[in-house]
Amino acid sequence: MKIILKSIRRARVPAQAIALTQTLVLACLCVPSAMAADGRIKGTGGVSSSSGAGGGGLLPWATLTGHATREEWAGSAFLTRIDIDDFTLDVAGVGINLHDRVELSYARRKFTIKASGGQIRQDSIGFKYRLGGDLLYGSLPQIVIGAERSLLRDAATARAVGARETHGTDLYVGAARAWIDGLFNRTSFVNVNARYSTANQFGLLGYGGDDMDARTHLEAAAGLFVTRSWVVGAEYRHKSDNLLALKEDSATDLFVAWFPSKQLSVTAAWVALGRIAGSAEQNGVYLSVQGAL
Amino acid sequence: MRLANTSLQALGGLLLCGILLAGCQGLREQENLYTALGGEEGIRVITENFIRQIANDERVIDHFEYSNVQRFREKMHEHLCLVAEGPCAYSGDSMIDTHTGMGITEGDFNAIVEDMMAALDEAGIPISTQNRLLARLAEFRGEILYR
Repeated sequence: MKIILKSIRRARVPAQAIALTQTLVLACLCVPSAMAADGRIKGTGGVSSSSGAGGGGLLPWATLTGHATREEWAGSAFLTRIDIDDFTLDVAGVGINLHDRVELSYARRKFTIKASGGQIRQDSIGFKYRLGGDLLYGSLPQIVIGAERSLLRDAATARAVGARETHGTDLYVGAARAWIDGLFNRTSFVNVNARYSTANQFGLLGYGGDDMDARTHLEAAAGLFVTRSWVVGAEYRHKSDNLLALKEDSATDLFVAWFPSKQLSVTAAWVALGRIAGSAEQNGVYLSVQGAL
Repeated sequence: MRLANTSLQALGGLLLCGILLAGCQGLREQENLYTALGGEEGIRVITENFIRQIANDERVIDHFEYSNVQRFREKMHEHLCLVAEGPCAYSGDSMIDTHTGMGITEGDFNAIVEDMMAALDEAGIPISTQNRLLARLAEFRGEILYR
């Protein structure tokens, strides 16, 4: 884990991506499967969201990363690229699941403006605590509280557009429930979050502004296991429009995730992120790969 | 572009509603599960596959060290038959009594679920029918774990 974090700290995204991929592949190949935390059913750890927290893609879910039970711990690492009309977002991150109770995550994001090559880099750390319930079993849905703290490494743009802060903390409460015998007799799930946030565009344009909108936001996701390895679903994330000069819309996606094993997942999605930084509606593709142990 | 976003949101909303409605699936008419699993012969094959899966599963085999395989086979057959609403009576001990002292963990339970999934796959049971059975079996989890 130290090596991964170090390599992230040192390198810029391309090198960091390579280092992370290498570490991931090596870890998957070299660590005997007996060491892997795989006590939960495949897919119940979800994938890695773009903030680093277990999710979900555009939002964290009330699932904890990896497949650890209360007797185990798990770790995951991921790479994500979002390619929309005028921008790209590259994310690399890691997550740890301690006894299916606490999740810690770290992610580095690099937002690139295609036309100018200009970049905004941002670091995020996440904390998630499972209050109770279970995703798959019993009568109570799995309920978590979480915090996501982000800091801009390139703060000039946020300052220029009128954001009040270049760092900020989001707080959320989330609930997730899966039905083994759900829609079409397929295992189906729903996740709902309530988030407190003053972020502009996931914090990439800072926090707060000169035209503050609602600070509480609803997020939802739903999906269906077509087979034990293939999942399809959708997400919605309500976002606020806090800047007078720039409009911001809510975000949605339709995703397909593939879990060839408990150690690997690949997620592809079509995302609609609305207006960003003065550009018209931004749509595009989302691709993410996660390794977990 | 606005249209794309709106239609995507509508699609997502539809999916969400659909899955929420899935909670009401019990109301829907479906083929009797026992019949869907292949009746007496189907349950026999599933039970055999299940025993073989467990026997080859290092994660859980130690829990069955002192089990009488013939008795396990009979009671598991009856249990599956009954859970699937087949024409059987269960003559074994309660789930709680059976598992007391075994110290079954979450991971053990899930390993057994995976063994059952493999057993059902091997018997050629479609995933929709598998899920109907697994959902019913999962209800016993509270009587099995950490006893």
